[in-house]
Amino acid sequence: MSAPERGGETTYLEAIRQGLWEEMQADDSVFMLGEDIGLYGGAFKVTDGFLDRFGEHRIIDTPISEGAIIGAAVGAALMGMRPVAEMQFIDFMSCGFDMLTNVAAKNRYRWGAAVPIVVRGPAGGGVRGGPFHSGQAESYYAHTAGLKVVCPATAYDAKGLIKAAIRDDDPVIYQEHKYLYRRIKEDLPDEDFVVPLGSARIARPGRDLSIVTYAAMVHVALEAAEELAADGAEVEVVDLRSLVPFDEETVLTSVARTGKAIVLHEAPRTGGFGAEIAATIAEKAFEYLEAPIVRVTAPDTPVPYSPPLEDHYLPGKSDVLEITRRLLGY
Amino acid sequence: MTKTQETELSFPAKYRLTGEMEGCADEQKLELFERLLKTREFDARMRKLFRQGRFEGTFYSQIGQEACDVVIAYQLDQQDFVGPSHRDLGASTGKGVPLKNLAAQVYNRVDSPDGGRYTACHYWHPEFWVMNPSTSIVMNWVAATGAAFGYKMLKKDNVAVAFCGDGATAHGDFHEACNFAGVHRLPIVYVVQNNLWAESLPVALTTALTDLSHRADAYGFPGISIDGNDVVETWNATREALKRARSGAGPTLIEMKTYRWHGHSDIDPADYRSDDEVAHWMERDPIPRYEQYLRELEVLSDDALTDVRARIEAEIEEAVDFAENSPRPAPDGYLSHVYAEDYPGFEFGDRNPGDANG
Repeated sequence: MSAPERGGETTYLEAIRQGLWEEMQADDSVFMLGEDIGLYGGAFKVTDGFLDRFGEHRIIDTPISEGAIIGAAVGAALMGMRPVAEMQFIDFMSCGFDMLTNVAAKNRYRWGAAVPIVVRGPAGGGVRGGPFHSGQAESYYAHTAGLKVVCPATAYDAKGLIKAAIRDDDPVIYQEHKYLYRRIKEDLPDEDFVVPLGSARIARPGRDLSIVTYAAMVHVALEAAEELAADGAEVEVVDLRSLVPFDEETVLTSVARTGKAIVLHEAPRTGGFGAEIAATIAEKAFEYLEAPIVRVTAPDTPVPYSPPLEDHYLPGKSDVLEITRRLLGY
Repeated sequence: MTKTQETELSFPAKYRLTGEMEGCADEQKLELFERLLKTREFDARMRKLFRQGRFEGTFYSQIGQEACDVVIAYQLDQQDFVGPSHRDLGASTGKGVPLKNLAAQVYNRVDSPDGGRYTACHYWHPEFWVMNPSTSIVMNWVAATGAAFGYKMLKKDNVAVAFCGDGATAHGDFHEACNFAGVHRLPIVYVVQNNLWAESLPVALTTALTDLSHRADAYGFPGISIDGNDVVETWNATREALKRARSGAGPTLIEMKTYRWHGHSDIDPADYRSDDEVAHWMERDPIPRYEQYLRELEVLSDDALTDVRARIEAEIEEAVDFAENSPRPAPDGYLSHVYAEDYPGFEFGDRNPGDANG
């Protein structure tokens, strides 16, 4: 595969690829390491062509050793590099959990040294990946002080956020949604741009109810909002883009305007990031609320494999429509 | 020209198997052959059905590596614990798991031992004490170590067998499990199938070792590297290791050099390997080598082979039919399988603590 062309109609996957490529071009301290990223171009081909362009000293095929991948990234970051570590599936980040949550996350706190690493990889279901290839890991890492967590929903954000993540001086977990890789695309600007971490966006404006969400569920919310518009309801969709930092202001402003909130995510319910969003709204926008805050999430189970099971597991448009209609009439 | 000469002409003499299979009666040799061939034929059929879109998800072919699994699994007792990796079809077929359950697993239907909740080609069966493999590499290796620890605590004569690939030996948990087993002299046989590629990663980028069995030195138990495509050598090495484990002498690490003919999964064209390399290994196909050996011993005749093939074909037909007719899971069928109170499930062992004092 040749060098990515900047701008034009771009898939979510190609957007990530462009962002990585541009940062590698612009900054010699950026390098990548991970399983099957070089010769093979990555399990999903995100890094296809990188080995030819940047060489094996900057595109490093590693053994199956997530602890060593993240540990090597941390050490190299201390030496002034900006490593981007790929987890072949975000589920396997747990194999490097100690290096991430105890070492990378606490490094600045312990001795003031920046660890500007990005750990990125595919998350999410809908591709018949089964219990080990479909998970969403954001809550583990959002709960760890010292880490930042990014979950882009669009090609524009995928590119802008990976560039911002690489330039960030703290460790960033960049969670890509594999269902979106080749399913969405949009025209991207020709010029260089970043999307700053911690800035949510209003994906669709509305005045009757806010759906606060991120990653692939943004598209589920937008589909539901479109259908509800036919009934005359104006649903606002807030796409968080990053969970840490959390753009509280955009969320609270939206809820203050609409008075009703649904929190939607693909991860299981208990201890999910939705609970954090709901708690923040309850604490800081209680007087504006006209109805209970309701979470729409996956159930508290692993992600099942067989298609009928997985389709049932994933929150879908019909789930959002049902809850939204109930709240609109509250 | 005799029949034997014909076979030799069509098969490179340098791959000829020699020597005795210790303690292996002729009927066992033949039964082992049948399980090897069955594993091959079933895998090939499933792969074809996947390509025809007969089931969703993914497919991991084991073709080329069958002897590494089947030969040791065949020698196990029902309650010996097996910790396979994904792809390890032969760990189930070698132990006698019926093909219909395995086909339903691949088809992710309700008659799969996991009811369709878990990923295809993670072959297992609780009644045969073959555990459900972990997609997360080498975790089955660690769990099998725990099973061996359990046998030791319960003073049982059973052993555990763990499988992994060359790639998994780079994982930290490989080391932790082996070290633990060495300390406790656990009744376990560790099998590393070195097929030269961890997905797309050549073994030279997984380890600087030439023989992975040398890792055993660090854990204080024996390690041996063998030709995993040589059924005779594999039989003798695994038989010895199982004897060691059963006698309380502790673990053995066996590196079996072998080759996976197809991609990591069936969407992987495996174009990181050369055609020459694949051809080189296909010549070392374990099954024709063993077939020739049995013919030379006059254990396998043309008539016997015809019978074997007919039985295999019939079981595969039955298995495919069973899987295709097995219902898809009810959409909410996964909700009640998370905690014990909803789903008692099964237990490999008897939890009666009295057994510990047996």
